[in-house]
Order: sequence, then structure tokens, then C-alpha cells
Amino acid sequence: MDIITVENLNKTYETYRRGSKFSETFKSFFKREKVIIEAVKDISFTVEEGEIAGILGPNGAGKSTTIKMLTGTLFPTGGTINVMGYTPHKERAAYVHNIGAVFGQKSQLIWDIPPMDSFNMNKAIYSISDRDFKYTLDKLTGLFEVEDIVSKPTRVLSLGERMKCEFIMAMLHKPEVVFLDEPTIGLDVIAKQRIRTFIKEMNAQGTTFILTTHDLEDVEQLARKVVIINHGQKVFDDKLQNLQLVLGSKKIIHLMLTSPRTDIKIEGTEVAEKKSDYEYILEVNLANSSINTFIRNLTNMCEFSDISIKELPMEKIITRIYEGHGVSAV
Amino acid sequence: MKSNYPGIYRECIKVSFATAATYRFNFVLNAIIMLVSNVLFPLVTILIYGSGAGFPGWSFYEVLLIQAVFTLSAGISGALFNGILWVTMRHIIEGSLEIVLIKPVDCLFYLVASTFEPDSIGLIAGGCIMFAIAAGNAGAISLLMWLQFLALFLAGLLVMMGISFIMAATSFKWVGNSRIPEIFESIKSFGKYPQSILNKSAAAFAAFVIPVAMVGCFPAAALLGKASMPMFAAVIPCVLFALSGIFLYKYMIRLYEGVGG
Repeated sequence: MDIITVENLNKTYETYRRGSKFSETFKSFFKREKVIIEAVKDISFTVEEGEIAGILGPNGAGKSTTIKMLTGTLFPTGGTINVMGYTPHKERAAYVHNIGAVFGQKSQLIWDIPPMDSFNMNKAIYSISDRDFKYTLDKLTGLFEVEDIVSKPTRVLSLGERMKCEFIMAMLHKPEVVFLDEPTIGLDVIAKQRIRTFIKEMNAQGTTFILTTHDLEDVEQLARKVVIINHGQKVFDDKLQNLQLVLGSKKIIHLMLTSPRTDIKIEGTEVAEKKSDYEYILEVNLANSSINTFIRNLTNMCEFSDISIKELPMEKIITRIYEGHGVSAV
Repeated sequence: MKSNYPGIYRECIKVSFATAATYRFNFVLNAIIMLVSNVLFPLVTILIYGSGAGFPGWSFYEVLLIQAVFTLSAGISGALFNGILWVTMRHIIEGSLEIVLIKPVDCLFYLVASTFEPDSIGLIAGGCIMFAIAAGNAGAISLLMWLQFLALFLAGLLVMMGISFIMAATSFKWVGNSRIPEIFESIKSFGKYPQSILNKSAAAFAAFVIPVAMVGCFPAAALLGKASMPMFAAVIPCVLFALSGIFLYKYMIRLYEGVGG
């Protein structure tokens, strides 16, 4: 069952543009050139209940604007959003009772005092009973192993510790849907992994997560569905495993030769990187051929001491999509 | 589910005091600076009356009472409403209003509650001392006068609240308008003195257009038995001012656009 339905969502806003010359700067005091920015253009997608959906896109693509409209904090210019039966921007107060949000670059914690005081603030805001509050807080601090740090001032905590507390803050009222805007930004690998494990555990208990991130590891480990936005438009909307098929059936071959070669030319194969005359990284298109045929052609051409065959890395697929290759607007 | 607004307000005040306690020296220093900078202005009145001059129809203690009421009003509104201007401006410049908007509470209420300023306690205390001295020397005050004073004093707080909200609301459109409070501070000065020293149009402006006379002069006049019908009529623009501030702020929130992610 769909928990989020977005149809033809649009967001435009006005800004001003001026040149960097002194005369242009001076002129801008009297007259400014108005520019209309189309941040989000006709985006439609759905998210199922209990799903983890990733919204990806390069900087300035419109994904944060989309998330803000989904959380009801930004008014759309056009289109409709339905989350759990609510229209977020029209029924904000009632709607946000049922959602949580973590903004990786904006803290909900009060800087000078311990996170515990911020948690108590949310207890009052969400009218959480003493019993529920204690139960949920004990559970969440236990999962993150932060029982000792919630009483220290926020400003003395590390980024990883603060982010764990941000998650606790967002989950205390047991939201059905949680929006995560770059939740692992700036974290070390251990902290990232702890956050991902936490999201998986909460998701297993039924919470739906919408995730925007630049960290593809987040997407690979968490998201089952991916929506990619570029220049404000949706360019991909499908299951994560289908992302591999967007650029066709391709494999990456890492090859170590026994004798040097200046080039390798096989039909349906591109040299992605030549590290030396002995070491090549090839990109093989298997749309009209098979890996068997490729190996046979390779063996006929040269001798090699080592070979590895891998899927096209996610980073490469995403980069190609961002650059507008291999996929048209869906 | 309905939010528990008194509970949220209590929690916000607790957090404000906890934050103040974190930087205790800064808190004490701020309170003293606010007290000194605001309570010193009656010195001018002392100098005027000490030199044999004065405001026609008003004794020294009567003028001091106006200034005591003005100081009290400034202290209470400073604690309750003034923080919203700066916090709104900061949220708009930094694009961080989302962290307030994702909470299931009225945004205006939450920002007002969360910017409670304990530093203003110094000013309130100073105002109370001045008020006690001036009222103690102003003659007998009947219960009716006290009630009239209270009503007009609350109306004065509504003006201060409305002004704070209107100034904060303009930040949504004119980002970084940090000089607007200074303009209001100048206009507010009209309320510090007896209205009899103003010409008719200035007095009407201070009573009915931007009713700053209600911040100091009118409530003090009520306490001195000098209240008149126009003073009570001026309650209407005060209420309208407060409602306009609330309406404008809530309308301007719609214009919030955040900043780039």
C-alpha cells in the first residue's frame, strides 16, 4: 500500500541575479534582474508503507526542496502530495505529529544544554506520556549505546554522538514516516554503520524512511527503491537492482597481463582505464554478446595473470545518469 | 492529538534558564547592563526637575512613574516577545526554520516560547524598584485606578508584542533588516514622556497609529487618576496591532523558502 503519493509536483521561486563587476554591483542597488528558478519540475512518485526509499541527485538537483515539501515545511507551487492521507503543507500541525525528520546539516538539539533537555522538550511538544517516553528513550539510547552522553552538553559531543541524539530526537514520538536529509554526512565509517543498522532495525519494526544522500553506500545498504532527480526532473524511479540495467548490461573487467600491450581492442569493449601496459580496466557491454565470448576473444588476443569481473559500480551508474547519459526522463 | 501549550511553554522557560545557567557570568553581566542602560534614562528627568524646569502639569514623581511603567513594559516584553525578531532573522538567513516547522506546534508560539529571555529580569527588577518609589510618592491610588492601570498596561504589552511580530514578519520578505528595531526604538520613545509635551498630531500618532503612548504614559496616567476616554479608546488600536502582528507573521511563514541544501 502506498504511504506517499506525489503527483506533478512543482516548485518555482524568485531570486535575483547580478554580475560581479563593480558597476553591476552598484547598479543592483537600484535595479535587480529577477530570475525564476524551477527547482522541481513535474515530479511524480510513490513510496510503499514500510519501504526505505532513496532520493538521489547531484547538488542543486531539487531533492532537498522535494523533501521539504514532503515534510510540509515548504509550500509547493503546483501538484499534489499525499502522505498518510494528509496534504502536508495544508495540515502541517496534524501531519507532522506522525513524521520524524533528521537534517544532517541542521540540528534539532539545543546547543548549550544536554540532549536530555531537548528530548524533554519533544516530550512536551508531542505530549508523550512519562511511561512511553521512558520506554522509548531507554530503547533508543540502548540501541545507540549513548546512555552516558545524553546528559553532557550537546556542544561537547562529537558529530557522531550528536547525530545519534538527532535520531533519538526524531524517533521519540514513534513516527510512521521518517525523512532523512543526508543523515550520515561527515560521519566516520563506524558511526555511519551504526546509523545504518539503526535505520534497518527501525524499518524492520515498520517505520517508512525517505532518504536523501550523496553517500551511495547508504543507498546500497538501505534503499530498496530509488528516485533520482536531476535539474529538478525525475530521471529514474524504480527498484535499486534495476538501476544496474539503466546503462545496459555491462561488466567491469580488471585485467593483469603477463606481457605488455599498448591497447586492447575487442568488439563491445571499451578501455575504461589504462593503468599501465600490464594493467587495464575494461567496460564490457554484454547486450549483444556473452561473457564467454568476451573471455574467448580476450584469450585469443593476449595472456593474462589475473582477471576479476565485477558489476558496474553504483558510483559510475549514478554519475552517468547525473551527466544525462544512458537514461531519459522517466 | 492536541499539543500541551502550557507544558511546552514551561519546558521552554526551563531550557532558557538552563542555558542562562550554563553561561552564568554572561547572564549576570547582561542583566546588569540591561538594568543600567535602561534605568539610567530617568536621570535626565532628575536633571530637568533639579534645575527647576519640568513637564507642565506633571510632578517629578508622576513623570518617574511613566518611566517606571515604560521600563517594566520594556522588561516584560523583552523577556516574552523580543527574541522572536532575531531568531526569525537567523532562521531565514541560515535556512533552518524547517527544524521548527516539523514540530506539531504553532510556529509563532514555539518561537516566542523558545526565545524567552531571562536576561530581562534585571530590567524588570529595575522597573519594579522605580515603580515602587514613584507610586509611593504619587499619592493615594484606589482599586479602580489599579484596575484601569492593569488594563492599559496589558494593552501596552499587546503593542510591544504586535510590533515585535510585525518586525519579525518583515524578515521573511526583507531578509537582514536589522535596523528596523532601531526605528521602532525611536518611535517608542514617545511613550516615555507625558503626551502633553507633544503637538496634537504627534500625540494622536502615538495614541492611535502606533500606540506607543500605551507603553508608558497612558497606564501611568490611569494610576494617577488622569485617565480619559481617548486613552481607553486607544486600547482598540493596541488590540488591532497585536492581531495584525499575529496575522502578518502567520501569513509570511508561507513565503519561507529555505536555502540551498
